[in-house]
Amino acid sequence: MTASGGPAAQMRDERLANGLRLITLVDRTTPVAAVNIWYHVGSKDERPGRTGFAHLFEHLMFQGSENVTKAEHLSLLESIGGSANATTWLDRTNYFAVVPAEWVELVLWMEADRLRTLLVGLDQENLDNQRDVVKNEKRSSYDNQPYGGAYIELFEMAYPKGHPYHHPTIGSMDDLDAASLQDVRDFFSTWYAPNNAVLTVVGDIDEAVVRGAVERWFGPIAANPALPAHPDLTLAAPLAASRKTIRDRVPDPRLHVAFRLPPLSDPSLPAAEVACQILASGRGSRLHRRLVRDEQVAQDVSLDVLAFAGGASLAVGAATLRPGASAEQLEKSYGEELARLAAEGPTATEMERAVALIESEEMAKLGDPEELADEIGGYATLLNDPGRALREVEIYRAVTAEQVRDAARAFAPEHRVTLWYEPDGEASA
Amino acid sequence: MSVQRPGPLTPRPYTFPRAYEHRTATGLRVIALPMPGRPLAAMQLLMRGGAATESATENGTAALLARLLTEGGPRHDAIRLVEAAELLGGTIGAEAGFEGVSVGSSLPVHRIAPMLDLIAEIAYEPSLPEREVDRLRALRLAQIEQAAASPRARANEAITAAIYDDAPYGRPIGGRRESVAAINRASLSARHAQLAKNPDPLFVIAGEFDPNEIFALIDASALARGVNGSGASTSPAAIPLTPDRPAAATTSDRPRVLLIDRPGSVQSELRIGRLGRSRLDAGFHAALVHSEIVGGLFGSRLNRVLREEKGYTYGAAAGFDFRRSRGPFLARTAVETSVTVPALVEARRQLSSPLSDAPSDEELDGARRYLIGTFPLRFGAAPPVAAAASGLTAIGLDLSELDRYRDAVAAVDRAAVVRVAEELEAESERIVVVGDAATVRAPLEAAGFTVEVQA
Repeated sequence: MTASGGPAAQMRDERLANGLRLITLVDRTTPVAAVNIWYHVGSKDERPGRTGFAHLFEHLMFQGSENVTKAEHLSLLESIGGSANATTWLDRTNYFAVVPAEWVELVLWMEADRLRTLLVGLDQENLDNQRDVVKNEKRSSYDNQPYGGAYIELFEMAYPKGHPYHHPTIGSMDDLDAASLQDVRDFFSTWYAPNNAVLTVVGDIDEAVVRGAVERWFGPIAANPALPAHPDLTLAAPLAASRKTIRDRVPDPRLHVAFRLPPLSDPSLPAAEVACQILASGRGSRLHRRLVRDEQVAQDVSLDVLAFAGGASLAVGAATLRPGASAEQLEKSYGEELARLAAEGPTATEMERAVALIESEEMAKLGDPEELADEIGGYATLLNDPGRALREVEIYRAVTAEQVRDAARAFAPEHRVTLWYEPDGEASA
Repeated sequence: MSVQRPGPLTPRPYTFPRAYEHRTATGLRVIALPMPGRPLAAMQLLMRGGAATESATENGTAALLARLLTEGGPRHDAIRLVEAAELLGGTIGAEAGFEGVSVGSSLPVHRIAPMLDLIAEIAYEPSLPEREVDRLRALRLAQIEQAAASPRARANEAITAAIYDDAPYGRPIGGRRESVAAINRASLSARHAQLAKNPDPLFVIAGEFDPNEIFALIDASALARGVNGSGASTSPAAIPLTPDRPAAATTSDRPRVLLIDRPGSVQSELRIGRLGRSRLDAGFHAALVHSEIVGGLFGSRLNRVLREEKGYTYGAAAGFDFRRSRGPFLARTAVETSVTVPALVEARRQLSSPLSDAPSDEELDGARRYLIGTFPLRFGAAPPVAAAASGLTAIGLDLSELDRYRDAVAAVDRAAVVRVAEELEAESERIVVVGDAATVRAPLEAAGFTVEVQA
């Protein structure tokens, strides 16, 4: 970017002797610092019978370590005027905090303390407590929400049984119940090692001060020389079309679809993202214009890319039937718009609009140290290319209309997963 | 614990962006907030007279009108409008709030000139096409049914209705079935005419720019034409925003619970609410500190007990919603069905706890430092800066409020926080549970609650 704001210049990328990758980027626009750690472990690394464990483990990372008491981690960050959270997904677990810049070393110290000594604070009571919290998270976010199980179903249909992406990150209640203290110890000593982590610090920082603090607190932590390989994500066969209908307590029928896309490392994935934007992002998109505005068969439409490290990424879409409209018509029109993009490609104006919007999104990202740090950590972890976070805008600008057309061929009906939710106790819509 | 935790480096100063004011020849008030290093600008035009001015039968008109504005004006229909905005790399949207209807955009600052004209076109001269009125009304009705199926949305709507009876703050801004069904092009058109003639329209913009250049652009744009900023027009009708009832002592022997039956629910959505405070009341900063301690922070009393000690929930939160008139104080959580009663009892205990167990030095310090320290974090990008400036100005506060914010928070003491708790306790308590009545009704009654079940 040539804009005067945002991170000025150089990203520094180095490794400690124990394998920890440290990336720093100075941005003095506001006096804040974002600290982000990606551990390369996610639900793909869970073993059978322990689904949901990577995420449960993430919760235990906030339960105290040698020098931080139970639940103190977040309270301590709040009391210095910061905020923090963590997420778990198929390929990773990331922990992030944003604090007034003068407090950056405290955050680094806390991250190092839990990486060095998490098991000191671990006991059965903490495990049971966080198991209950996570089970309530599953109830709140999935089980007690209309259409709440859709993503779980789509992943199970899009990846074959036994594939590491088949099962949901939130896990099953039975598997959560089965998790033991020994599982926690094993998981920690296997995956939570400096040579399986990327630490990114972005903001109003002095790089030498940050490097010194990282050496001081993370330097003494031993690497895991026996870090296991991640499971094989190869998919033997292309996705065959499949279809399922779920009757549940939902107000209106809703169509969900999923398609496989190339993995994150594939140079054609950005074109697929542009295709999804042209199809379903905003009121001017093709699906919105046809289904919501012109034919009035849908209340809403979506189609989004979920990028994954190996095997296949996914495009997942949805459209809620408008009361009184025809479900067959909705599904037909949705499919036809995808096919039309694959046949004709986008117009020049559509490409121009898509690129202009992406440029603005990139501008927003570069102005947000928390988001930028997370993207840098992600690209370092999954692609060994942290600088991509700063080059994204050029990557999208280089996408051609032909590439978008070709990428849309992934949306063929013979490779589509189709899931309908229908109101229970009613005739099929 | 002999390890010395790292302390802070020297803090760097932060100041909220300075506001520059301008008035166009037509009387539009403009506030510009330069933010060096933020080339993505945010702006909004606020026309006064939002959902707070609606009667029960008009409920939802401002919200549907806002949705209709982006259906375009005389020079751009809906599709041409969105295409023009996207070619600029921008968004354009409209939204109704209690105070007004706003049209806003975010886009790179070097392209704002044409966006000013687009905003003016849809705000001042919306087409309100009949076909789109019918389509969007039907969509809004479908969304109302969608919300009714969501236990979260259902609980939120029921608790505000329980606190405010039929005053405007007790109604969803988007309207209810009956009121939305009655909206037509004529009522939307009348609503728009009223908005357009209300005094004191306001335009706020934040981003990396020279304010004088921005003022010149605005003066030359359609924004500065066709607006009535004279202040000579009628004010929105004065409608009481809060319920017309005396504050009541809440320590009833059998507190009442409105139980909304959702058979088979695996969780109960709990809401506990009272009439809160106005943003204009003295003691705003004390109320912020009170909220953080009771239900705002991760380490708040409510979340610490319900989540970290008991494991009843994924999270529990409580706080004030500050508006021009008295907004609600609400506590929210979703708990496993089998612990509905103990969770409700515990939540009520924690909400009232500052009365018997005044906040400790550590709690006060933690809350004050959190509010002070996160202040710059909240305003790193242009959209929240523009929204804060517009929101405060809309209710008649000066932007110097933001400059004195951190000092005012630092000055909040224990007595002030306890006073907030006492005043809150003097308001009537309302309780809503959305869950499986067949399972939770009897335990609620056995625990001493008077239960009213609603299907």
